[in-house]
Amino acid sequence: MADRYQNNREHNPHAHVIHKPGRRLMHKIPLRFVWRKVHGMGARSPNANLNLTAYIDFLLVTVIFLLTTFNASGQISVPKEITLPTAENAEDVIDAPIVSLDGNQVFVDGQYAGSAKSVEDRLGRIDELFAALKTRRENWKTLQPNKPFPGVVILQIDQETKAVVVKSVFQTAAYAGYPNVSFMVTKGK
Amino acid sequence: MGGVDVGDGKGKRSTNADINMIPFIDLLMVTVAFLLITAVWVTNSRINANAQIPGPPDPTKEITPKTPEKVLNVNIEAEEFVLTWRQGSVVASEVKVPRPTQNQEKPSYPDLAKKFEEEWNTHGSHKNVDDQTVDQAVLHARDNMPFKEIVAVLDALYTPKREMKIDNDVAKVPVFNMTFSIR
Repeated sequence: MADRYQNNREHNPHAHVIHKPGRRLMHKIPLRFVWRKVHGMGARSPNANLNLTAYIDFLLVTVIFLLTTFNASGQISVPKEITLPTAENAEDVIDAPIVSLDGNQVFVDGQYAGSAKSVEDRLGRIDELFAALKTRRENWKTLQPNKPFPGVVILQIDQETKAVVVKSVFQTAAYAGYPNVSFMVTKGK
Repeated sequence: MGGVDVGDGKGKRSTNADINMIPFIDLLMVTVAFLLITAVWVTNSRINANAQIPGPPDPTKEITPKTPEKVLNVNIEAEEFVLTWRQGSVVASEVKVPRPTQNQEKPSYPDLAKKFEEEWNTHGSHKNVDDQTVDQAVLHARDNMPFKEIVAVLDALYTPKREMKIDNDVAKVPVFNMTFSIR
């Protein structure tokens, strides 16, 4: 057994620096019975093998699950100031222009499209929003002349907004040629 | 450390080859971390409404005068909901549902949803599976009402569902479609 720890020392130039991995505990003591004692009388191998198969399986399943749920296009940014209302009977969001109302400012797909100040007390049309949506509709029709226009617009409005503002934006979108107006909500109870 | 045991070779040389699994596990861990960070947990949904604006008249179709359909008018009052079925200007029926005082954060009206279903069962005109249109509801909301109240009523309105044939498939769709009364 002693040979196991000392073999080929003469032939190995690095032997004094790098030792073969193995048992180190008390191996400087050149007494066989001490080594035997330390190594548990040769009862079991000290080379423990960690079984990684289950771990890799778990990681693979996690990766596959995350990959299937991964959706690069479904991420629609909602401004921090807007708290969406909650609804249970909601559908999935589709690809459509998004009109968001951030305070008094109206944005169409992130581009400024007028102020909603004029409609805070009285139902009316937001002219800049109307123009922005109309341009979008015309662009869509030029790009796809043979397809029927879906006329869907998604409104991203804070849950505390007054109904008159919501109705004004709704009406403006409808007049601009988007009769199918959807409200963005958070799904849940 | 990491190795995969490929069995015990009985031939001249051992088939017990050690594949170094560590880079593989590293790659997996990095992928898991990346996907976890980029994952979108809160998905947004939409609730549909329709402005009921007739498009330009189709020159290929003959215009036939239609009898006005029964439309459910939903009035949101301070203490009750008034559900009125109107056909043109004729009131067919009127029902009042008390409006419960709610926790203000997340209003929801399950009783109203039940009433909508009952009302549709009695008065609804589009019940056939092949029928591609749905009954219309008009929402009358006060100007100072918060948007979440409207969405809560809309949610209740879309709770009753019926079967509709869409492209040879039968799907469950809400029995009503909502529009705002613009006054």
